[in-house]
Amino acid sequence: MGIKLRFVGKEKNGVTSVKGMVKHPMLSYDQAKRQGKKANFITYMKVTQGGDVVFEASTSQFLSKNPIFKFKFKGGKKGEKFTVYVEDLLGNKAEKSFPIR
Amino acid sequence: MNRREVLKLGVSVVVAGLFAKSLEAKDFRKEKPAAWKDKTIKKAVKDLFGTDAMDKSGVEVKAPEIAENGAVVPVTIKSVPADTKVIAVLQDADPESLAMVIPVHPRTVPEDISIRLKLKKSGKVVVVAQTADGKLHYDEKKVKVTMGGCGG
Repeated sequence: MGIKLRFVGKEKNGVTSVKGMVKHPMLSYDQAKRQGKKANFITYMKVTQGGDVVFEASTSQFLSKNPIFKFKFKGGKKGEKFTVYVEDLLGNKAEKSFPIR
Repeated sequence: MNRREVLKLGVSVVVAGLFAKSLEAKDFRKEKPAAWKDKTIKKAVKDLFGTDAMDKSGVEVKAPEIAENGAVVPVTIKSVPADTKVIAVLQDADPESLAMVIPVHPRTVPEDISIRLKLKKSGKVVVVAQTADGKLHYDEKKVKVTMGGCGG
């Protein structure tokens, strides 16, 4: 099971607005128990752009399945890229870069 | 130098010291592991920030009054005080209270941050913002869940 990242970034007036989804079952301990599976959910997300950390979050089992995130960061120009990196409870990682439109 | 000049110099040195270190990447699950296990909002806030004294001001949270599907409850942190350094999202509808922690980096815009929470039942969503002076500000919204979020 690979974690898939799908993010879009749009720059306007010096601010880049990002909307994206992390494809992940986000199984809480409760749900995992009921399904006879191992609990696993995204625990950490880091977004970088131009060498800076522009957004970062530590997350829990209480985010929805295939969690969607919307956030903004200063700077970034059309054509430049931003990179999203996530980790989950079981140590799986995923990283992908996306263009700023 | 007259006294005024000396005082001015002193203050600017102190201010420079406070802001000299920019926030490096921080994973709050590693920094404050206890907070993620706490079962009440009050305790999680205390373990995360070192205090549970909060002022209901400066923060605006948007969440639906009624969520038909507890599995997907949209929550938006509309705004927080200008010098917020850390934002925490908590709730009392699930076994553990702490849902998410967002350290505010210099380029992070701490407004209109949207996420989707999984709420097992009706409860309240609380967003706490810690400003540079260490004080905690918060806003909360009660969400009525008609179909629990952790089913199946």
